[in-house]
Amino acid sequence: MSHGIGVDISFFLLAALAVYTGWRVFCTDSMVRASFFLLLSFIAVGAIMILLTAEYLGVAMFFMMAVEMMVMALFMVMFMMNPAGLNPMKMVHQERAAIVAGVIAFTVLSAVAVFSGFPDAPLPAKHAPVVSLGLEMLGDSMLIFESAAIVLLATMIGVVVLSSHRGRYGAADVGSMPPGLAPDGEPAGQPQNEDEDDDEGGGHAHHH
Amino acid sequence: MTLMTLLLLAAALIGIGLYGALSQQSFVMLMMGLELMLNGVMLAAVAFWAFSGAGTPEGQLLTIIVMAVMAIEMAMGFALVVAVFRAKQADMTEALSELKH
Amino acid sequence: MIWRELILPVIVVLAALGIGAYVVAVLDRLIAGTLGMPQTGSAWQAPLARGAWLLTQTANATEAPDWRAWRLAPALYLALAATGLAVVPWSETLVATDLATSVVLWGSVEALATVVIFLHGWSANALFALIGAYRYVALGLSYILVSMFVLIGVALPAESLQFTQVVVSQAELWNVIRQPLGLPLLLIVGLGMTFWGPLNLADSADLAGGTASEVSGPPRLVWDLARAAMLVAFSGVAASAFLGGWLGPWLPGPLWLVLKMLAVLAMLLLLGRLLPRLPPERCVILMWVVLLPLAFVDLVWAGAAAL
Repeated sequence: MSHGIGVDISFFLLAALAVYTGWRVFCTDSMVRASFFLLLSFIAVGAIMILLTAEYLGVAMFFMMAVEMMVMALFMVMFMMNPAGLNPMKMVHQERAAIVAGVIAFTVLSAVAVFSGFPDAPLPAKHAPVVSLGLEMLGDSMLIFESAAIVLLATMIGVVVLSSHRGRYGAADVGSMPPGLAPDGEPAGQPQNEDEDDDEGGGHAHHH
Repeated sequence: MTLMTLLLLAAALIGIGLYGALSQQSFVMLMMGLELMLNGVMLAAVAFWAFSGAGTPEGQLLTIIVMAVMAIEMAMGFALVVAVFRAKQADMTEALSELKH
Repeated sequence: MIWRELILPVIVVLAALGIGAYVVAVLDRLIAGTLGMPQTGSAWQAPLARGAWLLTQTANATEAPDWRAWRLAPALYLALAATGLAVVPWSETLVATDLATSVVLWGSVEALATVVIFLHGWSANALFALIGAYRYVALGLSYILVSMFVLIGVALPAESLQFTQVVVSQAELWNVIRQPLGLPLLLIVGLGMTFWGPLNLADSADLAGGTASEVSGPPRLVWDLARAAMLVAFSGVAASAFLGGWLGPWLPGPLWLVLKMLAVLAMLLLLGRLLPRLPPERCVILMWVVLLPLAFVDLVWAGAAAL
């Protein structure tokens, strides 16, 4: 596949953007910002796909990921204590092992990319990627495509069942206790436990 | 823009994603790591389609399937997060430590 | 070569963006005047005066906002409007982005607009702005779905996802007659996506201005400009998808498109003044229970006609 210098320059800029925003996802303080950094990474990869003439996939990436990351940001605000990133935040475990694993994965995969020989079969000069994808999806690979649709439907039903507040044995949050501030500590912020907290503090008059 | 540079970019995205998936305590951040890895996988699939597959449509179909897998992963992940939050009022992986015993 | 393929389309898009936004403001005031609403000043000068006034004001600051996102969001919304105008074909050859999937690109502009509007409300770190942002996200998902089904409907007779092909396919019969449900649905989505008139639930008065409640000065000017420009982009897409775009006798193609866009804009602004307001939760119900099934019917109709 032959292309001009403009394509090369755009590719390197987009690649830098994809990696930079992908890295920023895990070191920004705000969860909402993290999900939008991830969206930027996806958009950069989608634009690279358009450069590779996969026009449908690149554009599909934009709208699929825009909606997905929007939902992700909503969940962030729902569950996190610090969605706006007003305080510094770093919530990681086994970080050193994770860094080693990431570096090893990158090294092995890039060794594969650099040292192995792949067949050189570029795109034919006259091809219609969107038309051929459509014919493939609704032709030879229709079974695969339709199974994906059925799996998505099953997912929707399963998700509603899993996240429904009304469980088979009563409300889903019966007997739910918040975790302690320290490992194995007292549940945090429970009004009915205030007396026990006072016990620990000592010096308070009791009125049981 | 050659197959090699595209695969290097995909490898970098997969490496960062693996770091995030292994290191993050929050379920939602952990899922972001998984998504970033799938991002790299999709890029690699399209790169192989364009440079090594002579434009066979199955290469693009694979990417569409990965996108569907991502949607399923997100939906199931969020449903589990909601269920865990109901039971434990936390969205940390450590909240599920009793699964070990 | 470079003039025809790069510079001319960019000039056309920028001109449509600027002049179109001004036309929206003027038309809105003229329509309000015709309907007998009280007016201050001349309809032709008032938008310019307001723009100049906003430029001289200082930009408001809230406590600990996400500065970069807050300042970027209006500009990003304007950029999305420009992207939307870029896929509109002005004639067979004069089109800025003649991507093979330009209909899907417009769909992703709508999806990304949800993100940008949320960002605008969230980053201000203010209560009403955040409520407005959440409202838009709840509504925006249903707008995206409705508009996606309507646009797949117009892609069916064209057998292509390209706007130029969609226009060419209307040479014999415009889509507005072929698929009568499509244009009204798309117009409602357009009002919703720019939160205009009765569908202004994200920046509404009951939230003291919603996502824009803390925004003043030049950023406010950009935000208002971007909303008007997005309405122009919508009129361009609606004119291309349903009213035959550049097609028409006697006059040159771009002029036909401008006339059709003006007609759609007048229609949108009139609807914006005449439709009743709904509370947001009822609006969501209306979208999912009434408009989305109608979009399905439109798609089945288009499919049956294409067979």
